[in-house]
Amino acid sequence: MNRNKSGNAYALTMLCPIKPGVKDNRIYADLIRDQLESWNLAPVSPLAKVPNTYLCRFFVLDDIYTESLPGASIWDALSDLSIIPSNKQRLAALPHTDSLKSRYLVFTSNLYGDVDAYLAGMWQYMQDDVKSIWQYCYGFEDVVDAVGFKAYAKKCCMDSSLFFVGSNDDSLADQLKALYIKQEFSRFAQETQDLSAPELKLAYTAFMQRVKPRDISSPTWTAGVSNAGFDK
Amino acid sequence: MSNIAGKAYAINVITPIRWWTGWLNKLIFWFAIKIPKTLNGLITLSLIHYARWVIVGRDQFPVLSPDQPKENLRYSYMLFFSNFNGSWEQYVDSFTFAIPSGLDMFWKWNIRYPKSVPLTPFHDYIRYNQIQTDHYYNAYPMAASNDVKSAKKLHLALMDFDARLDVQASDEAFQKSFFKLLRDLQHDMATMRHTPIVSMAAESVQIRLAADRVRRETLTLE
Repeated sequence: MNRNKSGNAYALTMLCPIKPGVKDNRIYADLIRDQLESWNLAPVSPLAKVPNTYLCRFFVLDDIYTESLPGASIWDALSDLSIIPSNKQRLAALPHTDSLKSRYLVFTSNLYGDVDAYLAGMWQYMQDDVKSIWQYCYGFEDVVDAVGFKAYAKKCCMDSSLFFVGSNDDSLADQLKALYIKQEFSRFAQETQDLSAPELKLAYTAFMQRVKPRDISSPTWTAGVSNAGFDK
Repeated sequence: MSNIAGKAYAINVITPIRWWTGWLNKLIFWFAIKIPKTLNGLITLSLIHYARWVIVGRDQFPVLSPDQPKENLRYSYMLFFSNFNGSWEQYVDSFTFAIPSGLDMFWKWNIRYPKSVPLTPFHDYIRYNQIQTDHYYNAYPMAASNDVKSAKKLHLALMDFDARLDVQASDEAFQKSFFKLLRDLQHDMATMRHTPIVSMAAESVQIRLAADRVRRETLTLE
């Protein structure tokens, strides 16, 4: 059973080790951050070009953290049995602290359909953007095409233990069309409240011809555009 | 940094777990998948688009080059990624108030997990272990998870209504059936709008574009 899948939705999780290099007085991890920050300032994210991306994210994992406040475990409770615990007892109750030897670029995507096709799409539609961030990662230097990128990505993939789909697993095109219809129909219902029966029927016919509910491709919302269907 | 994209918030929480309780947690997740009713509580949290739990073993961090130092870790790590609507507080509190036992079941074995009740230590735990997102993309920034679900229902209902429509029927009969459609869909209809701040990134773009416009206009005048 593939726990990365829930129906037609797929949870892609990549942990990509970053090289410890420095360029122009900045470490590679910060150069990746700069690049990702520049995407934040673009009108539309480059990920909008990749078909079937519902939601995805990038972040740089510098290290892992262990909270040292008492939790709810039996050891935390036992450490308080002494009336005046010694320093040794106190310190022994603190958890061990791990530290990573490499920084990691973490990429997770919630996508529709086949993950291989998705990764090929990433290479096809945002190759330059992919190179601009992954060039600082171990193992990416050998990637020259979509096949190489898929092979690289598979080495970085982590399996989900549980993937929960709270909305639905329809294709992105279906979701965007449905959202477009919802927006337009809600507006139509509002605007036609005072029409007579003959006027309403005419308006409905024109509305259905305009929104074409059975044509998934058009008219519809554009992926990643924040004012889709609003400023008409 | 951008934890927000449109109406969605991206949360990343990474918590240490002993390697052997990590396997126990995997077993709990396996049962949750096998017995779907254990996830009923999660389903009531309709503000979630997608969420996942990933357990990375202490020796499972990827090694892609002989030059890369291998990690030497005491603990395995549980990674939690969620996409939800609303604020951080609304989300974290809704977990605590709606499914405290479910939350404890999934995190129980994580190091220093304080349990979901009381709230303040739980907030502290999540805050301490949360990693900020550097870039977050949302294909439908204007839509909440409930919009996606209701849009599907509305779309299908409209196509069904249209397919059943009797073109020979009188205008009054059409109006009556149309009103029935509106009544049936009243919980699914709503126009989607910008939230006050669509995203920190989008707001930055708007500010920058406005500044560029002013600069261009100033240059033209000169």
